[in-house]
Amino acid sequence: MLSRFPIQIFQMKMEDMPLSGPDNTRLEALVHDIYSELVDDACLGLCFEVHRAVKQGYFFLDETDQESMKEFGWCHVFSFFWPICIFLWCVSLQHMPFSITLLEIVDQPGVDIFGQVYNQWKNKECECPNCKRLIAASRFAPHLEKCLGMGRNSSRIANRRLASNNNMSKSESDQEDNDDLNDNDWSYGAEKKAKKRKSDKSQNSPRRSKSIKHKNGDLGSGVSTEPYKYNYNTGISYETLGPDEVRSLLTTQCGVISEHTKKMCTRSPRCPQHSDEQRRAVRVFLLGPSAPSLPDPDAVVESESFDIPDGQTLMSRLQWEDSPDISPTDSASSKAIVSVSVS
Amino acid sequence: MSKESRMRATVNQKLTEMGERERLKELLRAKLTECGWKDQMKAHCKEVIKEKGLDHVTVEDLVVEITPKGRALVPDSVKKELLHRIRAFLAQHAT
Repeated sequence: MLSRFPIQIFQMKMEDMPLSGPDNTRLEALVHDIYSELVDDACLGLCFEVHRAVKQGYFFLDETDQESMKEFGWCHVFSFFWPICIFLWCVSLQHMPFSITLLEIVDQPGVDIFGQVYNQWKNKECECPNCKRLIAASRFAPHLEKCLGMGRNSSRIANRRLASNNNMSKSESDQEDNDDLNDNDWSYGAEKKAKKRKSDKSQNSPRRSKSIKHKNGDLGSGVSTEPYKYNYNTGISYETLGPDEVRSLLTTQCGVISEHTKKMCTRSPRCPQHSDEQRRAVRVFLLGPSAPSLPDPDAVVESESFDIPDGQTLMSRLQWEDSPDISPTDSASSKAIVSVSVS
Repeated sequence: MSKESRMRATVNQKLTEMGERERLKELLRAKLTECGWKDQMKAHCKEVIKEKGLDHVTVEDLVVEITPKGRALVPDSVKKELLHRIRAFLAQHAT
């Protein structure tokens, strides 16, 4: 039946003119009827909703009385991040307009619901209770963390500083124990800091520049107080060591000379990278055919009277004992001879 | 049944079957809420309730008060859009 209506009647444009013509009025009436039905539906829906809310008692909940307006804004400031707590405490001490207690709900333009102006923190400065300086509000919490020495970051920094300080003092005082420390197999307490130590050493250690200087052929200069030219990052250069030093080294370390770097391996005499044959060859090369054999793994500690200058007794008790007759003066004098003969 | 009423019945049936009626209802409700009509009507309801008393108000009271006002307060833009959609539906599914 609807096919009676020509198609162009149903052309829809955005400006929607009502359909004209007798049949079309009926259609238009139909359209309006459908529309009215939909609107009635919406109104009825609203009535039911309101009626239910009234009968269930929650219709008037969005209206608050004067009393509850005052109590509404209980600010939850005690978050897990404690510097903020301290920050706010300091702030309240300075009698700023923003208080942490009960806030009245306010409905005014230009101000938020609690009556505060937006961005009032920007230009506020707080006085630090520790160092008495005036710090900008947004930088206050991190400053407090460092100033008071609490919080994760500041303890990390302090630990790092302590570690590097210990390294510096330890390395310059005792040479023999550094032998042990260099060993990759076992190093009590130095394992976890080994990487950091090495990097710290390479940056801060005065030896680094001295050993480089020495390698460049400058023989007499760097001899003063550093008989053991260890470059921790890459191993030991045998050219700069006297025979006694070499012997002592070879009792505690693998000592095999690397092809690329020409340095002695600082790992344990049983390190898996080098064979015993290689180790024997190195000893023969460095100390002559009468070189002592590789140290026995079960060697007894040589002398009880061995005096370790540094207090690191743990190091000394480990397997490979240093030969006790090395002293700084000996090596200093023999070094010049060795460097001529070996090179 | 007259031709016209048959036609109406067919159209209504089609509207419901194809889900268009539901869609139109949702569209209308969304538009009315968006334009603030719902809040206006709720305010009017509050007056009626305060007048009749909270405990004694009935659905009938509300319907009688709300419906005529509601019909009148629908914004023109919303009305136009809905009529347009209904006409479009009829045009599409007239055959």
